[in-house]
Amino acid sequence: MTLAGFMARNALRNKRRSFLTIASVALSLFLLCTLRTGLREMTNPASMEESACRVAVRHKVSIANVLPAKQRDLIKRVAGVASVMPLTWYGGVYIDEKHFFSRFAVDPAEAFRQFGEMKISPEHRDAFIKKKTGCVVGIKTMERFHFKMGDRIELAGDVWPCDVALEIVGTYRGGIDETILFFNHKYLDEASGNRGVVGCWWVLADRVDSVPRIIAEINRMFRNSDAEVLAESERAFQMGFVSMLGNVTLLIGSISGVILFTMFLVTASTMAMAIRERFREIAILKAFGFRSSDLAGLIVAESLLLAMAGGVLGCGGAWLMFRLVPIDTMTNGFFPIFEVTPGIMAQGMGIAMALGFFSCLVPAWNALRLSVVDGLKILD
Amino acid sequence: MIDLVELTKLYRQGDIDVTALDRVSLHIDEGEFLALMGPSGSGKSTLLHIMAGIDRPTSGQCLFRGVDVAQLSETALAEWRSRHIGFIFQTFNLIPVMTAAENVELPLLLTRLRASERRERVEFALELVGLKDRLKHLPRQLSGGQEQRVAIARAIVTDPELVVADEPTGNLDAHSAHEVMGLLATLNQTHGKTIVMVTHDPRAAQYGTRQLHLEKGELQHDTAQASPAEAEA
Ligand SMILES: Nc1ncnc2c1ncn2[C@@H]1O[C@H](COP(=O)(O)OP(=O)(O)OP(=O)(O)O)[C@@H](O)[C@H]1O
Ligand SMILES: [Mg+2]
Repeated sequence: MTLAGFMARNALRNKRRSFLTIASVALSLFLLCTLRTGLREMTNPASMEESACRVAVRHKVSIANVLPAKQRDLIKRVAGVASVMPLTWYGGVYIDEKHFFSRFAVDPAEAFRQFGEMKISPEHRDAFIKKKTGCVVGIKTMERFHFKMGDRIELAGDVWPCDVALEIVGTYRGGIDETILFFNHKYLDEASGNRGVVGCWWVLADRVDSVPRIIAEINRMFRNSDAEVLAESERAFQMGFVSMLGNVTLLIGSISGVILFTMFLVTASTMAMAIRERFREIAILKAFGFRSSDLAGLIVAESLLLAMAGGVLGCGGAWLMFRLVPIDTMTNGFFPIFEVTPGIMAQGMGIAMALGFFSCLVPAWNALRLSVVDGLKILD
Repeated sequence: MIDLVELTKLYRQGDIDVTALDRVSLHIDEGEFLALMGPSGSGKSTLLHIMAGIDRPTSGQCLFRGVDVAQLSETALAEWRSRHIGFIFQTFNLIPVMTAAENVELPLLLTRLRASERRERVEFALELVGLKDRLKHLPRQLSGGQEQRVAIARAIVTDPELVVADEPTGNLDAHSAHEVMGLLATLNQTHGKTIVMVTHDPRAAQYGTRQLHLEKGELQHDTAQASPAEAEA
């Protein structure tokens, strides 16, 4: 037997309380990890290397304003531009709002060249280019609705005042979002009466180095025109898109704060109780000659042990759960990926550690200062 | 072995001073078994605590083999206690989640002894108190008298020179009290332990080689027993 072993056994002495402490820490950390992950997925979308070469061009006023189709040739002429295509958010309704997934109109010849991370077979790609009413659907959406090649998908227009009837001619895998439906921009043009407008331009640079210059040139090119644009890196575009979510960050931040604070109160009072109960024992150990500092150290260790156990359960539980649960389908594609990253878990464990440490400081300090004589007077 | 010189302990409560010990001077020889008696609140426990180095006097000296214990630092004092003092309490104070053997082993965790040596000592101490067959029992599986005997084993396992006991029979029935007192007498006579015991029970006090009475913090008469064997008769 060692003193540490003795304290460990002591820590688990009141099994129900130890269990409840661990469970409450675990639950709170599970919640925190979930919130943090959600926030991260929203504000800091995963990006791939391929995305570094891409530039998004939208209307300077807002993302809802359309751009004239004639801009395409001008952009194409900018040095270093390897590919330009329209990328238009069609939206629309498939059956009803619950059956949500993203739908974009693109140029079939350029789309999978620009989004190189989305893998598509050459046959599917060719079919997409050939068939004007064809569409390519991400593998996750294919699986979600049990779509087969050749299935017809009818979308009712909402943002756009036209319906479209599409036929699945291909599917893709890979990339950060495997749920998207792409269809031919020409079809959208015709269905909406050839107004000659697009949502955004998507531009592929030949090299990462040329991206800043391309952005600057495109921005300059349409200054003082009837459709001023805002060109930015794809990543910046995604982040800006997220800022429309408003103060979600602040909201989630405050919820996390409340959870943390509550958790601190709960563990601090539990630790205070658990240690107060043992004051008499601590006094006796001191009488035998155990040093106050060693005893206080063991109390801190005990508290850390409980909090870390909760941390491992909470963070690990979140990690495991979001691996097993199809968040993608459950959130109707709002979170195409929901990964509790090592960073978030490390952060969670850090919080658990801090919690274990700070929640026992007061009782540990009291135990440290407790005089043997006073401790002996405490009745069991 | 112990010399108390003008030992005084005051407790300040608001504006009034409570005198727990009033200039107590006392000499205790090696091998004595001292029974401290006196009414409640007379300062018996306070005196015992100071001798055992868990409390400090307001003034005066407490010399243990010439060393003034009251002058030691907290850390030095803790170390000093672990070497020289064995504690026995009225309420046994065994740790409920630990077996008899583990409870007895506890003070040995402060020594440099190896696990095998510790086990030997624990077994020896428990054998001495007649509980060698209860090594693996938890306190709640023992009677009060047995618990106190385990506590005695714990007090002597480090082989201290001085054993202090504050009302060791206070929570025991007459029979168990008799057993425990017999054990203390044996420790004193056969193993040469110096014992200072506080008790309310005149019969328990009979086991001592010497009785002392405290009254309102002052030392009263000092009765030396002719021989402890007589008391047992
Ligand atoms: N922490 C304290 N604060 C104030 N007064 C105290 C404190 N501890 C003890 N006293 C006082 O000191 C005096 C002696 O107390 P002590 O505990 O030594 O008595 P005792 O002889 O052991 O009594 P008992 O037989 O009831 O155990 C009492 O009057 C008590 O009220
Ligand atoms: Mg007392």
